[in-house]
Amino acid sequence: MEDHLQNLYEVLSKVEGYVYPNEIELNWSILIVLYPYITGLVAGAFILASLERIFKIKVLKPTYGIALLTAFSFMLVATMPLVSHLGKPLRAYEIMITPHSSSAMAIFGFVYLWYLMVVLFLEIWFDYRRDMVIWGNESKGVKRFLYKLLSLWTTDISPKAVALDDRIGYIVTVIGIPSAFLLHGYVGFIFGSIKANPWWSTVLMPVIFLFSAMVSGIALVMLIYIVLTKVRKQLIDMECLDTIAKYLFYILVIDFALEGLDQIHRIYVAEESFEALHKLVFGKLFYTLFIYQGLLGTVVPLLTLGTLQFYKPKASIRKIIYIILPVLVLMGIFFMRWNVVIGGQLFSKSFYGYTTFKTGLIGMEGYLMAATWLIIPFLILSFLLWLLPPWNKIETSHE
Amino acid sequence: MNQDTTKLSRRNFFKAGTVLASGVAIASALTPYDGLLFAAESPGAKGKWYGIGIDINKCIGCGKCANACKQENNVPKDPFYFRSWVEQYTIKNDGSILVESPSGGVNGFTQSVPDNEIYKSFFVPKMCNHCAKSPCTQVCPVGATFETEEGIVLVDEKYCIGCRYCVQACPYGCRYIHPEKGTADKCTLCFHRLKHGLQPACFEICPTEARIFGDLNDPGSKLNYFLKNHNCMVVKPHLNTGSKLFYNALSPEVR
Amino acid sequence: MPQHIKRLISVFAIFIVLFLVMRQVLKPSSFGKLGHFRADAIYENTLKPMHYTIADSCTKCHKSVRAEKDKGFHKRLKCEVCHGPGLKHSLFAEQFKGKELPDSLKLYKPGERKDCGVCHQKNAARIKIQFDTINTTMVHQIDLAEHNPPDLKANEPANCIDCHNPHQP
Repeated sequence: MEDHLQNLYEVLSKVEGYVYPNEIELNWSILIVLYPYITGLVAGAFILASLERIFKIKVLKPTYGIALLTAFSFMLVATMPLVSHLGKPLRAYEIMITPHSSSAMAIFGFVYLWYLMVVLFLEIWFDYRRDMVIWGNESKGVKRFLYKLLSLWTTDISPKAVALDDRIGYIVTVIGIPSAFLLHGYVGFIFGSIKANPWWSTVLMPVIFLFSAMVSGIALVMLIYIVLTKVRKQLIDMECLDTIAKYLFYILVIDFALEGLDQIHRIYVAEESFEALHKLVFGKLFYTLFIYQGLLGTVVPLLTLGTLQFYKPKASIRKIIYIILPVLVLMGIFFMRWNVVIGGQLFSKSFYGYTTFKTGLIGMEGYLMAATWLIIPFLILSFLLWLLPPWNKIETSHE
Repeated sequence: MNQDTTKLSRRNFFKAGTVLASGVAIASALTPYDGLLFAAESPGAKGKWYGIGIDINKCIGCGKCANACKQENNVPKDPFYFRSWVEQYTIKNDGSILVESPSGGVNGFTQSVPDNEIYKSFFVPKMCNHCAKSPCTQVCPVGATFETEEGIVLVDEKYCIGCRYCVQACPYGCRYIHPEKGTADKCTLCFHRLKHGLQPACFEICPTEARIFGDLNDPGSKLNYFLKNHNCMVVKPHLNTGSKLFYNALSPEVR
Repeated sequence: MPQHIKRLISVFAIFIVLFLVMRQVLKPSSFGKLGHFRADAIYENTLKPMHYTIADSCTKCHKSVRAEKDKGFHKRLKCEVCHGPGLKHSLFAEQFKGKELPDSLKLYKPGERKDCGVCHQKNAARIKIQFDTINTTMVHQIDLAEHNPPDLKANEPANCIDCHNPHQP
């Protein structure tokens, strides 16, 4: 509390021009940057998984299971940054019992549950049920219990039952694709629908969020796949990586085009807010927008991936590229969220001035808290990979 | 034969047209504006429908309103939390615009630009606009903020989850998160005073009667007299918030 | 229907039923009566304590001041404009007639240059002010730095009330 006020007085001394007095405090901080970031990773990873399953791109097989489990682990944590930034976290349940139909945020609980339980959980469950039954019979102790619990003590693994599982899993994935679009497009709408804020208020916001989500999710799975294969001392499937890189390239092109379109439109129509935003972009957002998001996060990966479509260096070099690029892309998308969430609050809605972002290391909204919510999904993923290793599954060809 | 069909089709056209037109008319009369989206009904003919008038020509920037608001409503004293504040706009001869609001104006103002550089200067008291289509009410995910039937936007501090979405949605910067309560806080038009037949504190205290408070539904109210006799304007009309805070002599620089 | 599908459906059904039950239990009773909010919140908002009183309550004791003020330029000003919120002050006076006011309830007596300057310090944004009353034409604008500047030698700033009666300036 005292720290908070001290922080605010420091920010007050750094205010440029005039901001409404209530705007000195940045209401949405680093945790709300994480929220669309993590949700985006989920949606992106899921889209990659469904490329294999629905669009039958078989080379992507090695990443299918990893992508699904990645999506699931991040999904479990997706709400936590939101809940922990609330002024009254214990009242979070209200959003489920009395959702306000006109609020873009209210339906989040339901969209989230739908995506977590109906899409991700069911797809993984039907995909792993036979294996869980078998593993449950083979293992002992806690692991045995976990398998039994997760498979709901079912035993039927006749070819007929397995075929049914596969059929249902396919249907779930088909439902899952629009759901993933809904989930992340919806997160974009939370920002895009705020007419008070010209930096957010654009119809393109949901679409931009969606494509940047796919970009980040695909990059994350790519990275996790490489790291996992190295850890397991297996051979990296270069054909698979090349294909992922190809899709990453395509979607990055769309993402770049959409964001470019958004900015060109802003510049051309040059509305009331233009001067204020122009100053913001070339001032407080210069590094995060032009250098981190634009140059390192978009242009460099775009050029590299574009080049790879015509000219393929040898595998060892491509491997290094495939490690560096996802990191750049993940960083770029993180700063994209940053520029939207933080950038949208740095200028005053009076367009006469700017406030400053400042947060501490500790505290509910500090960097440590944010780091925690970024690390926990990886711990969950490690656990899931230990419990449900996709590489130990019985080979099934998804029909 | 040919003529008949023409007649027939014309008659049909008129018929269809009338049905369509009356349908549209009835539909628009029934729902002049989507009431589902908002907690309260749109301004009805009966009951009170509060509005606010501020005469910028009369405001002397004493900041008594901002000060009174803080005291009446126990608003935290730090200069980051305001339900009501005053801004001084100074347009210089070179065309640049300077906006100041030291501590929201609670301690008054001192002129910071020498007279010979000033093209014009004026004070603008700011407060919640109690919008009829309030963006903050629209975005509240749990229904912890609402419009009463008198047109006052209130917060339910026992139900607010502190998500801060409403703070983002208010185009006028009139909401903040109460540092101790952790919930959204805003002007209530001194709802607790209205119920005793008293005026909100900032209106009560204004020494120059620059602030006029009244019932928009009452044709004889002071507010309606003020609105009829002055060219009044709301801030950011393009956002269609249904603002009920009307300024006389509002300069286009004010945002 | 195969056994595992049945089990899965029952697990989902249990969760949905649990959710519906929780919803009924947790939803506040007055929610939705008047719209999508807790109707009780309207009443609760009226319970906030008041601090400012109304003009008449001052006159009950301070009759002579009121009479004095009514003759001067400040006649349209309410007492609390300068003296601050006085509800507790007047309630105490009413309840315990004749009893000494505790210090905490004594109201502010302004008179320093900064107090009067809040309205009267010359400011480019104030000069245009025209009142539509008969007696006053504007709020007097004084340049506090020039108007009878405080005697620096005596190191004692001259207060406005040394010369002006604030109730009848």
